[in-house]
Amino acid sequence: MPATAEAFSLGLPVEVSKIDQELKKLWQESQGATRASLVNLAVYSEDTGSLNRNTQLMAKMTENHACRAIVIEADCKGKENRVDAWISAHCHVSGAASKQVCSEQISFLLKGSCTTLLPSIVFSHLDSDLPFYLWWQEEFREPMDPQLWTWVDRVIYDSQRWEDFRAQMGLLESAEQEANQRIVLCDLNWTRLDNVRFALAQFFDHPASHHNFAKINKLRIDFAPGYRSTAVLFAGWLAAQLNWQGEKTDVPNKLSFVSPSGSKIDIELRERAGEPIGEVAMATPDVEFLVAHAKCGDLLEISRGKPGEKRMPQLMPAGKNDPVSLMSAELMRGGPHHVYLHAVNRVRDLL
Amino acid sequence: MNPAADQPEPNPLREGLSTRSVPQPCAIVIFGATGDLTHRKLIPALYNLAADGDLPPAVTIVGFARRPKTDDEFRGELEESTRQFSRQAVRDEIWKNFAQSVFYHQSEFEDEAGYKSLAKRLDEIDKNHGTRGNRLFYFAAAPDQFEPILKHLKAAGLNETCKGSWARVIVEKPFGSDLTSARELNRIIHNSFSEEQTYRIDHFLGKETAQNILVLRFANAIFAPLWNTHYVDQVQITAAETLGVGTRAGYYEDAGALRDMVQNHLLQLLCLVAMEPPTDLSADSIRDEKVKVVRSLRHWSRKEIATEVVRAQYAKGAINGEPVVGYRQEKNVNPDSQTETFVALRLFIDNWRWADVPIYMRVGKRLPKSATEISIHFKKAPAVLFNKDLRDLNVLVIRIQPDEGISLRIHAKVPGTSFRIEPVKMDFHYGTSFGKASPEAYERLLLDAMSGDATLFARRDEVEQAWAFIDPIEEAWHAKKDVPELFFYPAGSWGPEAADDLLARDGRAWRRL
Repeated sequence: MPATAEAFSLGLPVEVSKIDQELKKLWQESQGATRASLVNLAVYSEDTGSLNRNTQLMAKMTENHACRAIVIEADCKGKENRVDAWISAHCHVSGAASKQVCSEQISFLLKGSCTTLLPSIVFSHLDSDLPFYLWWQEEFREPMDPQLWTWVDRVIYDSQRWEDFRAQMGLLESAEQEANQRIVLCDLNWTRLDNVRFALAQFFDHPASHHNFAKINKLRIDFAPGYRSTAVLFAGWLAAQLNWQGEKTDVPNKLSFVSPSGSKIDIELRERAGEPIGEVAMATPDVEFLVAHAKCGDLLEISRGKPGEKRMPQLMPAGKNDPVSLMSAELMRGGPHHVYLHAVNRVRDLL
Repeated sequence: MNPAADQPEPNPLREGLSTRSVPQPCAIVIFGATGDLTHRKLIPALYNLAADGDLPPAVTIVGFARRPKTDDEFRGELEESTRQFSRQAVRDEIWKNFAQSVFYHQSEFEDEAGYKSLAKRLDEIDKNHGTRGNRLFYFAAAPDQFEPILKHLKAAGLNETCKGSWARVIVEKPFGSDLTSARELNRIIHNSFSEEQTYRIDHFLGKETAQNILVLRFANAIFAPLWNTHYVDQVQITAAETLGVGTRAGYYEDAGALRDMVQNHLLQLLCLVAMEPPTDLSADSIRDEKVKVVRSLRHWSRKEIATEVVRAQYAKGAINGEPVVGYRQEKNVNPDSQTETFVALRLFIDNWRWADVPIYMRVGKRLPKSATEISIHFKKAPAVLFNKDLRDLNVLVIRIQPDEGISLRIHAKVPGTSFRIEPVKMDFHYGTSFGKASPEAYERLLLDAMSGDATLFARRDEVEQAWAFIDPIEEAWHAKKDVPELFFYPAGSWGPEAADDLLARDGRAWRRL
């Protein structure tokens, strides 16, 4: 991993109309550094102090993902109407090329009615011909500005924070329709599941193990406080991929599904302190498939065997739950998230 | 070969998780497990795959070699070398977990009983580790050991598997030393394993940039119309290294640069650059097109070999300011050695796309810098507009190693009132744009072999056609009379003048690296 050579704070205050000129000047002065950019990555937040926090995140993320970062903090309730802007660069020494590689950042603080200028500010400062990823750190709300959404290639959000999943998803889907289905919906709550999904999936790589799909009758998912939606999404993934149909249950934290052959699958969701998804145990009458966080933290222990039998666990990477790791994982992938949408559709009413 | 084993039913839980084919549980048996390749490349590669979560948990490694040692001793030695050669730091808990799946099997390669006990051990491993009867035999031993190993594997029934399982064999280079020996080796392998089970490794093909050649050519419409004799003036391929023969003199004295590098690595790169678009990305579609390139290479008469191929050997000189000895003064090298450490060739591909486009290749040891690059030099633009003959051509460079990337040289007007045109370079560096380190070539290739994807492995006909092209050159060099001259170049130079002359007589020059 490249080492951070230098990270600016908000950087140089600039007039909004002179951002391009000031950026040019910045690069002329920084001899020997290479500017790199693969995407436009805009991050939007209404939290006070988010400019600094997101700048720090960008400094980390640009170690592995060169981009033009556009960091926006909006104070919608501000009495003053104004826009402040800064430019800065995140420079890292690339291990592979032994060169100083820099990503530029433009930061905006929007106040009062100026917050409605968001689309115009974003459009004016995109690096041409590069895709536009928008990391939306707020809840979505009406009106969803169609002008903005038609430009977005990937919208990144974290549904774990949502209070009303159905309403939020409805807004996103409307925006997606406005954009003629072009936007890829990227949920960090889904990204959070990548490693656990990967670990569970590998049990079934050999066709000889596929017969177990039809025999699954129990599933237990341990989740950390605040991560129930992550656990439900995980159940939705299994239901979508294995074609289970949901059934109504009145018991809290119990889900029930029916397999294509008509057998019942009981899912227990258990809240336990620890990782967002601490453990997943999937069982047939003959065998249990277990994925659990190892004690050392960033590894998963996976094993299969009969209940009570001594097992030989294997280790796999667990991934991390911090925003930089989740965003890095998301930025590494391309293409649509069809599987996510299928999973959401299976459990939309339960989230 | 069980076709079902090669095309397993997709795992629905894998959908959307990874675009690459999924490796299957298996036991990897490494013949020559105490050698350099195992310690420097294979085990570090397997460890890195495990650390990244790309290795299926049900994979075990069985080292097969002569020296007596216990599983724990073997694991200890491997840990030491992996800590030294792995691209990422070794984590104790991951190593401990990984090492549980590593075993040592002591046997002479010629000892039949050793293979019978291996078969028993693999059956036990299947039961205890879930490797499901899948076997991957890696031949990291010397080529003269291949025959006894293969014969005994067959006798022990290890070349066959039960329904739903597979057995594959990975063969390291050198794959023969000429066409006859390559055919013989193929015959020996095919006595025990079919072509579909055989994976001939060429680590150049596992490199990220080599794979990117196909993406560059076939995912970018701008290059397709230009990639032919109408627009390409010449192609150059250079594989230069600063290192001398080092500890490889025993092998290198017999092989030389032509067999060691050109027959495999450089011709493989040429194939990727020159091939037609395959019908799809399946292994055979790609290899079908690659083999057509080798088949279309113009073969030379004895007389032509003397003019189209330059061979040379490094004499004493200096690398990075440090004096170094000449090849003949290296340890274990014959003081009168005629082995070439440098080769330059002027090739032609006699097909519709590449007719009359010269391909210049050079490979050498003790050159001023280490770099493997392919450059496509485009024809000149007409000089009528700017009243100037543009001296430099547009050049597209594909850097294979180090500093993998792609650059394009174009012409631009120098700012000012006069009309001065100068070349400028647009440069893409993998390391700059993608911070993440690429996996080592062996990681990719081992995963592919476990997944049953032979795309990046050489097929029998590719290897044999390559030898059919190389053999006449070797024969000319080893003839009793009219032997082409062996030139000498000082270590630290770009080779002999004769290599420059090869291009100079066409009005061209080697690209400055």
